[in-house]
Amino acid sequence: MKNQKPGQELHTLAGAYAMDAISAADRARFERHLAGCEQCAQEIASLREATARLAAATAVPPPPGLKERVLAAAAQTRQHAPEAGEAGVLAGRARPRWLSRRLTIAAAAAAAAVVAAAAVVFGVSNGSMRDQLSQDQASSQQVASVLSARDATMMTGKVRGGGTVTIVMSHARHALVFTAADLRPLPASRGYELWLIGPAGDRPVTMLPSATMTGPVVASGLRAGDHLALTAEPAGGTARPTTPMMLDVAL
Amino acid sequence: MTPIERPGPGGARPGGSRDLAALIPLVARGDAAAFDAVYDLLAASVFGIVRRVVRDPAQSEEVTQDVLLEVWRDAAKFDAGRGSATAWVMTLAHRRAVDRVRSVQKESERERRSARPDIPYDEVAEAVESSLERERVRRCLGSLTDLQRESVTLAYYGGYTYGQVASLLGVPAGTIKTRMRDALIRLRDCLGVTQ
Repeated sequence: MKNQKPGQELHTLAGAYAMDAISAADRARFERHLAGCEQCAQEIASLREATARLAAATAVPPPPGLKERVLAAAAQTRQHAPEAGEAGVLAGRARPRWLSRRLTIAAAAAAAAVVAAAAVVFGVSNGSMRDQLSQDQASSQQVASVLSARDATMMTGKVRGGGTVTIVMSHARHALVFTAADLRPLPASRGYELWLIGPAGDRPVTMLPSATMTGPVVASGLRAGDHLALTAEPAGGTARPTTPMMLDVAL
Repeated sequence: MTPIERPGPGGARPGGSRDLAALIPLVARGDAAAFDAVYDLLAASVFGIVRRVVRDPAQSEEVTQDVLLEVWRDAAKFDAGRGSATAWVMTLAHRRAVDRVRSVQKESERERRSARPDIPYDEVAEAVESSLERERVRRCLGSLTDLQRESVTLAYYGGYTYGQVASLLGVPAGTIKTRMRDALIRLRDCLGVTQ
């Protein structure tokens, strides 16, 4: 960092700029510099991912009533159109189209998942799910214990990146049964890891045997306030989540 | 009958950045339900950082509302190629908070100076969301040198310019400037930020 190219001295402002710790004049000067320096723009972007985490660490519940006021104000606020040359920013990316399709079929997909899981829970005939249950002899008693609990509650969730999960949980039995379908396949070096996350800390539950698995996994040691989370980790598993959560369900 | 619940967007935590990236384009098209979900994902973080910088509760609420409305109004300007949606919104929130503080700085500067010792990095622990995230940030702030950490804390949470931080700490401005950059690079690497 000691080479003295033009702009190098200016470049040391990157940290102060990313934290808004500069005067308006310095800000304008630095932004002119940024416009011609792609590498600097990338550095600023990465530093802002870090400052965003500093911000997130201060999260506190907003005042009651703020949500209603914000939503009401938005309803009366005209939105700015995208700049003409930038239409491709939205249209060129696959995600929005995929998402809008996802939204239109979301209800149907969720309903299908619920029906499939209900077949297990209530013993309705459903070949594949029942087969998976019987194949997993080691945990079948635990599964039965959760499914038959008086407080058994079923939930479904969508996995970011693809796939649905169905969870049947019982706080009375301190356990839940987890099944997944249509998870996106991962490279051989990585696997899906299931977590219980809560006041008692982050506990790895298990690595899922494969992305195509749909059979039940039992997570015991469930405590009040826990969330169930799914991340993609190195195939051997990790002690703590190291990648963004692809699923986060409050239990 | 067993109750059936589906976790809605409100069940997600601020860490749900993938969700957010998908929601912003919907907001840009005027989708009120998507904006409702964005509020649930971000309002606590926006209010948290604004309140940390601005301090005054009523002003913090005003600024928070302005920031969230700006997200609604300018969602079409978000470019996923230039960073995460969370970083986009938090950058907006922090800048608006700092703008507010500096616009009233003359009146309050003396109080803020005397309040300086009240901004230790341990204060981060008062946040209520995501214990995992908070713990990581605390650990990473703790891995900085004292000068790096004080520079970041005063600048980001205190809303001071690097020049003000330099005079508060009695260190040359050039030194503070480089420490700030070094500190953020170290934080970025420690937090495992991916770009």
